[in-house]
Amino acid sequence: MKNVPVLEMEHVSKNFGELEVLKDISVKVEEGEVVSILGPSGSGKSTLLRCATNLEKMTSGKLSYMGETDEKEMKKYYGLVFQNFNLFPHFSVWKNIVDAPISVQKREKEEVYSQAKSLIKKLGLEGKEDSYPCQLSGGQQQRVAIARALAMQPKILFFDEPTSALDPELTAEILKVLRELAKEKMTMVIVTHEIDFARQVSDRVIFMDGGVIVEEGVPEDVIDHPSNDRTQNFLKKLQRE
Amino acid sequence: MKIRKSSICFTLLLGVFLLAGSLFYHLEASAANQEDGTVFTVGFDASFPPYGYKDGEGEYAGFDLDLAQEVCNRRGWTLKKQPIDWDSKDMELNSDMIDCIWNGFTINGREDKYTWIGPYVDNSQVVLVSQNSGIEKLNDLEGKIVVVQADSSAQAALTGEDATQENQALAGSFGELQIVGDYNSAIMNLEAGAVDAICLDVGVAKYQQKNHDKLVILEETLSTEGYGIGFKKGNTKLRDQVQETLFEMLDDGTFQKIAEKYEDYNLPECICLSKDTPGVEETLAASDGEKKEAAQEKTSSGMVFLEKVKTGFANFGDIIKQLLFGFGATLSIFVLTLLFSLPLGLLITFGRMSKNIILRGITKFYISVMRGTPLMLQLLVVFFGPYYLFGVKLSSFGPYYRYIAVIIGFSLNYASYFAEIYRGGIESIPDGQREAAALLGYNRVQTFCKIIFPQMIKKVMPSVTNEIITLVKDTSLAFVLAYTEMFTLAKQIAASMTNIMPLFVAGIFYYIFNYLVAYIMEKIEQKLGYYK
Repeated sequence: MKNVPVLEMEHVSKNFGELEVLKDISVKVEEGEVVSILGPSGSGKSTLLRCATNLEKMTSGKLSYMGETDEKEMKKYYGLVFQNFNLFPHFSVWKNIVDAPISVQKREKEEVYSQAKSLIKKLGLEGKEDSYPCQLSGGQQQRVAIARALAMQPKILFFDEPTSALDPELTAEILKVLRELAKEKMTMVIVTHEIDFARQVSDRVIFMDGGVIVEEGVPEDVIDHPSNDRTQNFLKKLQRE
Repeated sequence: MKIRKSSICFTLLLGVFLLAGSLFYHLEASAANQEDGTVFTVGFDASFPPYGYKDGEGEYAGFDLDLAQEVCNRRGWTLKKQPIDWDSKDMELNSDMIDCIWNGFTINGREDKYTWIGPYVDNSQVVLVSQNSGIEKLNDLEGKIVVVQADSSAQAALTGEDATQENQALAGSFGELQIVGDYNSAIMNLEAGAVDAICLDVGVAKYQQKNHDKLVILEETLSTEGYGIGFKKGNTKLRDQVQETLFEMLDDGTFQKIAEKYEDYNLPECICLSKDTPGVEETLAASDGEKKEAAQEKTSSGMVFLEKVKTGFANFGDIIKQLLFGFGATLSIFVLTLLFSLPLGLLITFGRMSKNIILRGITKFYISVMRGTPLMLQLLVVFFGPYYLFGVKLSSFGPYYRYIAVIIGFSLNYASYFAEIYRGGIESIPDGQREAAALLGYNRVQTFCKIIFPQMIKKVMPSVTNEIITLVKDTSLAFVLAYTEMFTLAKQIAASMTNIMPLFVAGIFYYIFNYLVAYIMEKIEQKLGYYK
């Protein structure tokens, strides 16, 4: 028997008025897979993520997680790490991490606390439990955001350009965390501009442009030997920078 | 560069034109004044027919103003009709903003406070009641709610220093003696059943009776008294000039003719100006002795001011004691209004930001009406609305209705301001917060209570502080419903002491209170400053 994919999007389209942002896109992500999505800005990468996480309603198409198609039920399977963190500024680091598991998932406090402690250790946030987000560096804030998402024990975690609000030094710090998560076989979908990183951690790379998937495959093919002109142009531009 | 230069030139030119225009206007105005001679400013209460009121065409008219006009015509003066707030009449007169108070001004009880002409009209104090009230004699007023105008002769006749013992006993038997700012609201109160009787001048009573069919005047009177024209104490020169012309008018019959215009009010029968009857001063001089009078008349205006300040300070303790009572009323309006309007504002915000288009439309309209009309009007509508819209007798709402109406009016108004402040606060919270909450599975109530509301509070603090400080000062508007809070009380004390000091003291009270409010709000803001 074949495994049910964690995420399955079938023939998804999204229009903002006249503008077609996503055109008939289908994506499947299997358990333990790390998928990177590359593409120029305006190509629909973020919209794809927002549709996958129900922040935007699809115009048409099907969405399911672990075979579950009910919007409320599928919520427990996914998490999202935002480009600009979106931590709750009035909550301490600790509360940012433990509040939702306790008040939304109604899990035992003891269990949530011990999980939060190990997440804090894992993400190098020891001693910051009582700090407020405004007292942390961007890299630290993003690590709190990742801890917050992981505390919900999602089946799959989306990252929407998690390093684009950070300077290079802090970027490295976040990529290190993502590599560790990949090693632990966390299912992840990462929208990113970090080509080298994508090549190292991804099982699969998706290249998007103009609302369609232009090319898809293992990193060696898509990044090193792209068959499509648009992919080649995009990669060249990135390398020049 | 060229454009900028020319626009500067244009602005300068425009400025010069405006300046020249206003200068020219002033020059012309002052030239006109010289041509016509003196400007004679008469202070009057514009809601006091037939002596002074606004006629059907919106002009100030009345017996007293007609007399004043005739005096001015004869002397070549220009008449300026200056409507005044009755409680502030002494301040107006003493600061020379007006030359005299000429407006059915009762002499009795005020003999030595002004320099008088008159009495020229005999006026008794009577009681006005509703036809079917069952009140027929003065004794029937026991336990009833009775109204007088603030600082009116009816008030003086009932509770003043010179009130007769019978009247004092009568006033003591009333259920309540309410003091209102003007007769119109007193009549509205009477019609609406919020009060049982009004004590007032017979002329006014007769006029009101004509316009409101179900009112009757009791046969028994509270007192008989005379009207005079009050000049600033010691201003005998102007008094003598006006008096001379009035006597001329009396001789050639003009005075009587003017009175006949107001026959409807029985004015011709009330007139009593005569060269032969001794004037107020002569009577005073006879009883009090001339020395005191002469000494007072010589006091220069500067000295008068110093005297006022001195007596003001001498009574400082008294003033503070009385104002503290009013401050309690102010404080209770303030606290209760906040208690109701802060949460009510949140409900309105929900409606205003609701997805339901009807609910959104209703709340939007509500807010625009509440913010677009005067609070004073809203208070009147809340109070009188049940009677004028539904014919419900206001007395059926119980003795605290006046106070309740004040609180309801203030709360409804302030809630609309708070609602808009809240909405601004909520809308300024980044969408990312709501998205993050949605991702973590918070439901709508949790998202609002845990994520949005706490952040909104922090954002709205400065605007809310502003609004709260305005509320402290707005409480004084409760006077339109004759609810005596601190400022109304200060005005009444100021009027009875003929001294501006109580108003200053009230100002200090407001300032200290607002200082405390600002201090507390600042502390709260600091507490919320733990995050950015």
